[in-house]
Amino acid sequence: MSLWRLEWLRMMRTKRWVAIFGVFTFFGIIGPLSARYIGEIVERFGGGVQVTFPEPTPADGIMQYSANVQQLGLLVLVMIAAGALTIESRYEMAVFLRTRVMSTTRLLIPRYVVVAATGILAYVAGSLLAWYETAVLIGTPGTGAMAAGMLYGSVYLLFAVSVVAFFGSTLKNVLPTVILSLVVLVILPIVGLIPSLTDWLPSHLTGALDGLVGGAAIGDFLKAMFVTLAGTFALLYGTIGVLARREL
Amino acid sequence: MISTKSITKAYGSRRALDDVSIFVPEGSVYGLVGPNGAGKTTLLGILAGLRHPDSGAVDIGAPRSRIAVLPDTPQFEPWLTAREVVDLARNLAAPDVPVDRVGEVLVEAGLEDSIDVRVGGFSRGMLQRLGLAATVIGEPQVLLLDEPSAALDPGGRREVLDLVTRLRGRSTVMFSSHILGDVQEVCDTVGILREGRLLFQGSLDELLVGRVGAVYRIRLRGTDEAVVQSLRDSPWVQLVEQVAASDLRVTADGREGAERNLVKVLADNDAAVISISPEGANLEDVFLELTS
Repeated sequence: MSLWRLEWLRMMRTKRWVAIFGVFTFFGIIGPLSARYIGEIVERFGGGVQVTFPEPTPADGIMQYSANVQQLGLLVLVMIAAGALTIESRYEMAVFLRTRVMSTTRLLIPRYVVVAATGILAYVAGSLLAWYETAVLIGTPGTGAMAAGMLYGSVYLLFAVSVVAFFGSTLKNVLPTVILSLVVLVILPIVGLIPSLTDWLPSHLTGALDGLVGGAAIGDFLKAMFVTLAGTFALLYGTIGVLARREL
Repeated sequence: MISTKSITKAYGSRRALDDVSIFVPEGSVYGLVGPNGAGKTTLLGILAGLRHPDSGAVDIGAPRSRIAVLPDTPQFEPWLTAREVVDLARNLAAPDVPVDRVGEVLVEAGLEDSIDVRVGGFSRGMLQRLGLAATVIGEPQVLLLDEPSAALDPGGRREVLDLVTRLRGRSTVMFSSHILGDVQEVCDTVGILREGRLLFQGSLDELLVGRVGAVYRIRLRGTDEAVVQSLRDSPWVQLVEQVAASDLRVTADGREGAERNLVKVLADNDAAVISISPEGANLEDVFLELTS
């Protein structure tokens, strides 16, 4: 039994993967569906009100998916990541590991990788579903745009999980870790409203998938990606430092 | 070998450890006793490398990877089986130990019926046994046990004490306990902590010698008032208490007088003596005396 298998079992036996995959694939199905049939839905439940919507485009289908997973999908991922990455939330379990694993890097990396990889796989699975359904119902989104969008979105998820890891090591408690991580992830898009910062912030990547399908250039998100990767490494480095110095 | 030199540790304004210097010879069993809040867990945490002293020095003659710690209420991921917990401990602490040893250690810990059961349903005693199994699988050079038998039934407690006894000579063991009888039974050396200060450190003999008064328990066959009266009349006797009809407790003013005259008084009165024994001080008495 290695630390990698421990994290794999944590994800599998606690059924956390079901929650992550469930929310991403659900919106992968629902997003394009709602974009395609929004007119009919409003007509059926609008009490006779007639609303005319423009013909949906492939970007609309992907945007419906993307907007939902960047909120609810991210919320689920943050909660699950906090459960795994608040390594010292239970003293006795922390003693078991900290007295046997001398390197905090060795302790952190399997937890980070397994959670982040599960989140990314779920995101890609949801994106592929959304892609397929959009192609069937509305029109085919560009392959290159989808691939690049998923790459940017995955980088953002790496960043989001590293935010959780940092607060998990600092706060040692699951609930404050979830709250503070969400606060940071919500504040970033607000800061991004400042035009000179928009293209540089990690939150810019959350709009990459639908933006690229809608016609944005791949290079539009490069600055944000480099900043996000640098931020991810900095946060992980900080997490390892905090864990190494912290007393139990 | 474990030694600390004048270590101090404070949490805010409260000193959890104050100028504590201990020495634990290699292969010995050291009992750390003290009331709640005395600093036992802090000291064990510092020795384990989980906490840092504010000042002073710690010297442990073993690499950190060969130091094992067992907290008083061990906990494990509830979705792991007992075998997986111990195998994880083996893999992390001593990957060279063969996998077959995992099952053997669990059997030795009395968990043979629960080896492949998830630990979420384990009782506190079972978790303690599992913690011990996960600790000994790594064949540690230094073993730090925090109240290892507190949650166990008498059988489990016996097994823990036997285990500690078996480890003597192979590992250096330090364990804290509130059960002074356990400490008295298995420890070579005792340290008594109170409010962060080490009040005493040494062998049990050193601790108890000098605190043993010249008190003797005498059991007679039947009641013999003449014996009681003769003892009370003896100039070297301070007090004679009749604990029961045929059970006397004699306090002498010194050992020499008692040793020279006690048997003679009994013989002169033609007493039917079942037993005579000096009354020894026990660790509990001394502990209460030192920490009160």
